[in-house]
Amino acid sequence: MILYDFDYERPNTLQEATALLRQTEGKARLLAGGTDLLPNMRVQVLKPTMLISLGAITPRPPQAELDGSIRIDALTRLADLENSEFVRREIPMLAESAHVVGGNQIRQVATLGGNLCQETRCLYLNQEHDYQFTAPCYKRNGDCCYPFPGNKPGTCWSVYMSDTAPALIALSANVDIIGEAGVRTVPAETLFTGNSLEPLWLARTEIISSVVVPPIPTGFGWGYHKSTIRGGLEFAMANIAVALWLENDRKTCAGARIVVGAVSEGPLRALATEKSLVGQVLNADLLWKAADDASNEINPLPHHGFTRNYLNENIRVYLRRTLITAFERAYGMDA
Amino acid sequence: MSELKFVGKSFKRKDGPDKVTGRALYSEDVKLPGILIGRVLRSPHPHARIVSIDTSRAKALPGVKAVITVEDTKGIKHGFVETPRYPADQEVLARGKVVHVGEELAAVAAVDSFTAQQALELINVEYEILPGVFDPEKAMDPEAPKIHPSHPKIADKEPFSNIGGKTECGWGDVEKGFAESDYVREDRYESQLRTHGYLEPHVTLAHWESDKLNIWTSSMGTFVKRAKLAKTLDLPYSSVRIHKTYVGGTFGGKIDLYSHEYCAARLSILTGRPVRIVASREEIFSAYRHSQPLIVEVKTGVKNDGTIVAQQLRVINNAGAYRGSGVVVVFLAWGFTMAPYRCPNLKYEGYSVYTNYTVRAPQRGHGCPKVRFAIESQLDMIAEALGIDPITIRLRNARQPSEDLPNGDNVHNGNLPECIRVAAEKSDLLKKYGEARKSPQTGHIRRGIGIGVSAYFGGSLIYPNSSGVMVKMNDDGSAIVLTGAIDVGQGAETVICQIVAEELAIGMEDVKIISSDTDTTPQDIGAWVSGMTYITGNAARQAAGNARAKLIQVASEQMNAPVEDLWVEDKAVFNRQNPQQRMTYDQVFAASVATHRGDTIIGEGFWRTMRDVPTHPSLATTKGRWTENYAFSAQVAEVEVDIETGEAKLVKALTVHDCGFPVNPALVKGQVDGQVSMAMGHAFMEEVITRNGYTLNPNWLDYRMPTIHNMAASEDADVITEEYRVGEPYRTKEVGEGLVSGILAAMANAVYDATGVRLYTTPFSPERILSGLKKLEPSKTTGVRDQQSPEVL
Ligand SMILES: Cc1cc2nc3c(=O)[nH]c(=O)nc-3n(C[C@H](O)[C@H](O)[C@H](O)COP(=O)(O)OP(=O)(O)OC[C@H]3O[C@@H](n4cnc5c(N)ncnc54)[C@H](O)[C@@H]3O)c2cc1C
Ligand code: SF4
Repeated sequence: MILYDFDYERPNTLQEATALLRQTEGKARLLAGGTDLLPNMRVQVLKPTMLISLGAITPRPPQAELDGSIRIDALTRLADLENSEFVRREIPMLAESAHVVGGNQIRQVATLGGNLCQETRCLYLNQEHDYQFTAPCYKRNGDCCYPFPGNKPGTCWSVYMSDTAPALIALSANVDIIGEAGVRTVPAETLFTGNSLEPLWLARTEIISSVVVPPIPTGFGWGYHKSTIRGGLEFAMANIAVALWLENDRKTCAGARIVVGAVSEGPLRALATEKSLVGQVLNADLLWKAADDASNEINPLPHHGFTRNYLNENIRVYLRRTLITAFERAYGMDA
Repeated sequence: MSELKFVGKSFKRKDGPDKVTGRALYSEDVKLPGILIGRVLRSPHPHARIVSIDTSRAKALPGVKAVITVEDTKGIKHGFVETPRYPADQEVLARGKVVHVGEELAAVAAVDSFTAQQALELINVEYEILPGVFDPEKAMDPEAPKIHPSHPKIADKEPFSNIGGKTECGWGDVEKGFAESDYVREDRYESQLRTHGYLEPHVTLAHWESDKLNIWTSSMGTFVKRAKLAKTLDLPYSSVRIHKTYVGGTFGGKIDLYSHEYCAARLSILTGRPVRIVASREEIFSAYRHSQPLIVEVKTGVKNDGTIVAQQLRVINNAGAYRGSGVVVVFLAWGFTMAPYRCPNLKYEGYSVYTNYTVRAPQRGHGCPKVRFAIESQLDMIAEALGIDPITIRLRNARQPSEDLPNGDNVHNGNLPECIRVAAEKSDLLKKYGEARKSPQTGHIRRGIGIGVSAYFGGSLIYPNSSGVMVKMNDDGSAIVLTGAIDVGQGAETVICQIVAEELAIGMEDVKIISSDTDTTPQDIGAWVSGMTYITGNAARQAAGNARAKLIQVASEQMNAPVEDLWVEDKAVFNRQNPQQRMTYDQVFAASVATHRGDTIIGEGFWRTMRDVPTHPSLATTKGRWTENYAFSAQVAEVEVDIETGEAKLVKALTVHDCGFPVNPALVKGQVDGQVSMAMGHAFMEEVITRNGYTLNPNWLDYRMPTIHNMAASEDADVITEEYRVGEPYRTKEVGEGLVSGILAAMANAVYDATGVRLYTTPFSPERILSGLKKLEPSKTTGVRDQQSPEVL
């Protein structure tokens, strides 16, 4: 139960919503599906003075732009993403990453924008603080950190667990953001600050209006995996999104993006490994080595009962598997 | 057997339509005018002295109708066990000190949740923090912080601190037994903290009206609740009425008195208004009772052919901050040790140790899974060392039908060897076993198979010790059953109706049931000692038989035919010698009223297990009989393990059990599947993660119970050794909780079979399995960076 009073507005356009955000000086929050916001209000991680519901605004269906990129309205429900023929055909990785979020009931209301803007998570944070961990930690504007007391003051290692963000980054997606000065467009990966206290470079008065996935290169293959304990209705132990694209010879790597999420303040890219793959003639051995290299590049934070050691192992193995799958898809073994 | 029409058939559940259409009323659905919202103030410390509690500001808050602390109670203690050795030990609200996080200190009743929350925040408690202790072995150290004094009988002899109770027993001479053994091994097994996972939270509505306390509460036995509430409130039982409500699952977690139940009642008495308290899921996870994590140390000596010669067990229970059912679980752990296999020399010691954790409750199986996990894992290791297969070693030791047990119980017709044989045959275990470890394997998935066996008691003596049932005939020939039995989802009402329908020869739709209301139904044992179908079922059989006898008597007078010639069929009494001569029940009823001084034909029945045994066995020494019948089972698990990531899952389960006569086979199957799924959670997923007595994952997302998608194929086969005889006592046995155990052990053995990794601690997490695999093949460890990783967070 949310035990405090707040105001509620239901504007008809995103412009009205930004105006409301400005009026409340950023103390309001957008309410999309509410599946992240409302639980966080219940445990008092967030205490907005006003909720601005986006419920009256109908998202535009995903569509191809003239340049071949695909625009997806940020208000699109995850269920609509995963079930869209168009998205499944054109950007199956995004459909897959939407499909693994929560459970069906969650996906029926959760939106893509909300998924990107979700709060970071930590076992000490995501619970009521009536009698447990009552002293607020840094993330709740206090001055302690329960799991990492040895860290520099003000450091929070809660993890950002969006399942769609790694896929969008691997797809080199951009996001359109509506703010005071109009619309700005930034690559999805630059949204992340690397600081769990304020995980997104997004002013409180800004709204993500859409996500734009640029044209998929030829010879493209993808791999996506979400590691969990029970296979569903669960946040990730780690999630992995890999994109590979090949030269016309269908062997030489033209480009690669390797992204690991849910183990850090934001999604992590294995930049050095990505670079080392470009120009190489790919084969299983090489991809195995790339997986090892990438997992060495990624430094997971221990979280939700998983040790850093085990996360390393899990990520390494699934990087291998997703890289192989991506290569197979790129090569055309998987039509 | 063939003439049975109702028992032995898979009738649809009586409660099914209400539940699936949302009509069923659970405690939270009961609406009364003027309800106040109750909330409980809980301790933020695992161990602290209460210097002072100041409720004045809360009381002054507008909208607050009452605030109570222990000073507003009679100070009467209660306990899960209340015996001379283990007297009641817990007050309904903390007095003097708090001993676990979330312990109840005060309660408020207010006009709404918001005000109630504010009131809690206005209560000022001053604490003096005391050192806490969380590991039971550390708590036993003489120097450890003292939560409560050790039990005087144990403190006299042993130096340990924090001993809440101990069970000690044995027979033969273990030292001699080990000396005579060809092979002896010693192992130690541990289990995690698990919760019950009932979907309906704890909810209590209390209304004090006209000197009567009316209670609607989610429970497993209304008569136990009445007894404990009346006692702590110092009211006669007749002043307390626990009403029937539907119950959304319990699994052991809703027996005994809970502080919030007392608080709702007391607040209602003080305000004269209905008071409802609903526990949040967080509260249930972080302040309520979970099951008991056991450390089980087993030493077993065998002959070369696998015959067990001697066994020594030391069990340590992390019992939490009050006695709870902690002293029961260390008694039961002995029973679950000795029931399946013969063991001529046994020494058993079980300690229940106080720690600064929440109090513990029984959980489906009450210790059995942890004990069987230990013994069955070790038995496989012994078999392997001796070059015997897992089936042979079990058959060698399994108790035979009619065998006497050392405690004076008897196996009767129970047939464990047959269960083992059928399980081996149906699963083809001997052909599959060892395959994954033998031939060169490709790919990263390994499949393994394993077996575990178990035996479970069917009803024992514990308050209220017996069940009564009444069957009232209606003048149209239909019947009303009054029973105290509570349907917690297991199908109690359906089964009782089937029995009554059978004994009275009327249709299922002709039987209506009124249940689990302490004012209107007879006393009942409740749904928590695995005896409902046997004990309440026999009481129902007797009550219906009693009504039938009256019907036949009246009919015999009317028809002028001897009682011996009369029998019942289709709501009528007929003459076996002359089937044309018959009287319908409505006619008989009218005749009874006309000729028997208005007798409306009410049948009574009652049943008690072990009727000649004065009381329950000794928790301290195990002396005395435990139960009348044992349900045996053998279960086989097939698992798949990803040897690169350590991820493992159950893919196939086989349960072969002897549950006695299955009154409703579909409900039996439901129990089997439910237990397989619960054991799977135990094996691979669930753990209440704690740190210093605080709970880190108090929600369904971070505490991972299996979902329907995790459920493995679950087959079952029964080895039924008992039959139902109309009008005669019959034996049903236990099927509701014994089957979480063998299958857990089977999964452990199957993981070993798949990988060669022997696990001594549940859950079998990917991390544990992977680190086991790495130990087996250290050379394969590549790419792991040597990092300083903080403890599991
Ligand atoms: C049981 C359960 C399971 C879950 N499992 C997963 C999981 O497996 N993986 C996962 O990634 N998430 C999971 N979540 C979290 C959450 O459901 C998803 O992230 C979901 O996509 C959030 O979308 P929403 O529309 O509900 O966001 P909301 O809760 O409405 O919003 C979340 C945040 O984003 C802001 N916001 C929303 N839309 C915009 C926008 N267009 N521009 C700027 N800010 C915006 C809101 O103000 C709020 O701060 C789970 C949640 C629950 C309750
Ligand atoms: S990691 Fe962050 S959220 Fe977790 S306790 Fe520390 S500061 Fe709080």
